[in-house]
Amino acid sequence: MAYVAANGIRMHVQRMPAKGSAADGPRPRVVFIHGVGTDSLASFYLTLAAPAANAGIEVISYDLRGHGRSDRPPTGYTVADAVDDLAALLAELGVAGPVHLVGNSFGGTVAFSFAHRFPDRVASLVAIESEPATRSWSRKIADRLDEGAEKLVQAEVLSWIHDHHGSHMSRLGKAFGQVLATTSITRDVPRGPLLSGADLAAISCPVLAIFGAESHVVDVAETLPDLLPGCQVEVIPGYEHGVLMQAPHEVRDLVLPWILRHEPVEIR
Amino acid sequence: MSSPELAVDEQAVLDDLTRMIAIVLEDIGPLDAEITPDTTFRDDLDLESIDLVALGGLLGEQYGDRVNFAEFVADLDLEEIIALTVGDLVDYVLASLRAED
Repeated sequence: MAYVAANGIRMHVQRMPAKGSAADGPRPRVVFIHGVGTDSLASFYLTLAAPAANAGIEVISYDLRGHGRSDRPPTGYTVADAVDDLAALLAELGVAGPVHLVGNSFGGTVAFSFAHRFPDRVASLVAIESEPATRSWSRKIADRLDEGAEKLVQAEVLSWIHDHHGSHMSRLGKAFGQVLATTSITRDVPRGPLLSGADLAAISCPVLAIFGAESHVVDVAETLPDLLPGCQVEVIPGYEHGVLMQAPHEVRDLVLPWILRHEPVEIR
Repeated sequence: MSSPELAVDEQAVLDDLTRMIAIVLEDIGPLDAEITPDTTFRDDLDLESIDLVALGGLLGEQYGDRVNFAEFVADLDLEEIIALTVGDLVDYVLASLRAED
């Protein structure tokens, strides 16, 4: 397994080289960023990673701190910390040129903040079921994390999850309950730091936002174009917040052509 | 990483997979059930998605680029991944190895 020491923690990383001839020149490079909670890099590994590599795109995916097989330090869970982790990881991997960022849920939030901090290092940004770290996002994620911290340690709640969603979800929920209980994640994530309207307007890379039509965050599809003029919004009918795992082919057909279309030709 | 006289019979691959599964699950404890082709990764072994990623890495180390687990699962939908059995993976490994013979 691939582990990289970066920003003081051990991060689990999975890379896939781009398929095809190296003589064709520099390849687009994508970084997949998963969501908070029961998510891990597996969501991308199982869906978009191999198709991206087959399309000639180099793939970097990693587990956020506290998630998957990366370290779970007690602190350091703000969006800014996640941006620091990613910047440190890319430095360790020797990746200097612009990358395409594809984030799922909280991973998209991290991508927006990374693009704000390092505008020259992002070729394009795809946010799946995500919104930037705005004030309204902060309130919503704080409520959800508080609810999780309260409920995912209760035996009767875990029993209910077991009965309605199976032993697997129950185990994942219990594991994330432990993360919530033993780290500063509940306090850290909503702090951002938050991005202002001017901060968002300054994000200059092309942005594609993908939502499931039945998702609890689909209202963001309406408000995002006001915050990010020029962003492209796609709503996939019939799917919820888990659209990446539920409809990988639809998501793939949007994301892969987008990356190939937005690869800068002269840089690197 | 692959040796020239790599065994490609079903039992050998099943033995390899059994060893890899034990490595992936070593943090959880020793396996209490025998692994057969009908064993499911999700319900029987309680593997999380991230454990499957680790298993994919071990497959690559053992068999080289010919066995591309990420490519295999990318062709499956969510229900098929959840229902995946050890036997399904044995079949995939055998087909991949034999495709290059």
